[in-house]
Amino acid sequence: MDLMVNGGDTRGVISIDPRTKVLIFFASGIISLSNYSHTASTLFTVILCTLIALCGKPKTAIKAFLLFALALYLRLILNLSQGAPSIIVTIITALSTVFMFSFPTILSILLLVKTTRISDFISAFQAMHLPIKVIVPFAVFFRFLPTVSDEWNGIRKAMAFRGISLSPVQIICHPWKTIEYILIPMLFSSISVMEELAAASMARGLDVDIKRSSYEVVKLRFIDYMLIVMIIMLTGLSIFLGMLARRGMAI
Amino acid sequence: MAKKELSNTEVKSDKKMRVKELIFAGAFGAIYIVIMLAVVMLFGTVPVLYLITPLPVGIVCATIYELCVLKVRKFGAALILGTLFAITTSSGYLPGLFMALGVALVAELVLLAGKYKSKKIFLISYLVFNLNMVCPFANLHFNRAGFLSMATEYYGPEYANSVASMATSWLPLAQIGLALLGAGIGILIASKLIKKHFAKAGIV
Repeated sequence: MDLMVNGGDTRGVISIDPRTKVLIFFASGIISLSNYSHTASTLFTVILCTLIALCGKPKTAIKAFLLFALALYLRLILNLSQGAPSIIVTIITALSTVFMFSFPTILSILLLVKTTRISDFISAFQAMHLPIKVIVPFAVFFRFLPTVSDEWNGIRKAMAFRGISLSPVQIICHPWKTIEYILIPMLFSSISVMEELAAASMARGLDVDIKRSSYEVVKLRFIDYMLIVMIIMLTGLSIFLGMLARRGMAI
Repeated sequence: MAKKELSNTEVKSDKKMRVKELIFAGAFGAIYIVIMLAVVMLFGTVPVLYLITPLPVGIVCATIYELCVLKVRKFGAALILGTLFAITTSSGYLPGLFMALGVALVAELVLLAGKYKSKKIFLISYLVFNLNMVCPFANLHFNRAGFLSMATEYYGPEYANSVASMATSWLPLAQIGLALLGAGIGILIASKLIKKHFAKAGIV
């Protein structure tokens, strides 16, 4: 298993330092929690989609942006149609809420996973003199998120082939069986991926205690500083808007 | 097979985690969090079910946790899993973040008390670990007005009112109870599944 298999920004116009991307990830958590109006999250989405596109993944960016636009549109319709409570309205509200709430985080994870090579990630954080014991779990964590969803798709297909459906209805009706049918194959195949990853990292000399050199040049460039300032301002804005809304002065 | 090849590095440091174990912990963290989020999403749309999520998460995720700590068997596995959990779920609210980290540390200390050998201690430590499912709700418990105004903004007044009517002073205690109950059921399932599948395959 190649450590570089996942993402990369070789086709991108710009390249952002992994540290900036991690900062964006932390900011997204704050933004989605303190974002009462849609102003901050819309701004955040626009910035992040642009970044993903510029880093060489325009298709992902467009897809994500269209999804967000659809959700925002649904929310606007719902706001206009208040006073007509029905089961459909409730369901759409709930779904779009979960989506809007988690979307900043999902976007920032997309940016991190899709456009960063793991070796870049590791060398960037080693430049900050963080111990390897802190870096590796995080690098593997981000590396593994798409793997889990891949495995999930594979398991769903394999189970459908055997006539076992994994729809929500089935999950609610037969929880025990579903746990076994989903969890066990997922854990088995993930464990073999982990073993391979461990072997690959050992071959790359991650296990040695001496300082590693890196082929990648890690440096915070002008664009990184610009983005960091922008993200901090945006987080501040979203907290400010949240405080305004709490005092009943929603914009 | 892999064990034979690694015997050199394992002799060198038996107590501390090597890169192999760090990779296991990080990867299990990813699986744990994806499955946990899937469960929360499934339940999160209904206010009542949203507040009892510690129960189903405990039931489903116990197997992943047990497999992780059984596979690593060194200081740090539960701590790393808990840190990843804390950062992804509770990083928006600082007291919740520290609570989640504290819970992970206590779970790790429980494991340490069992010297990473006792099978029962491995199972019992999940009872502690699953308490971290209460931490994302710290925002609701400590910062009630803020949480409710956010819920109103997001879900509309009906949802917020129904959450408010249920979020009484005993709710944290009820959630802790549910977390323990879920972890208890989860442990039973986990020990059965691990015996049935993983122990037989020689993975743990």
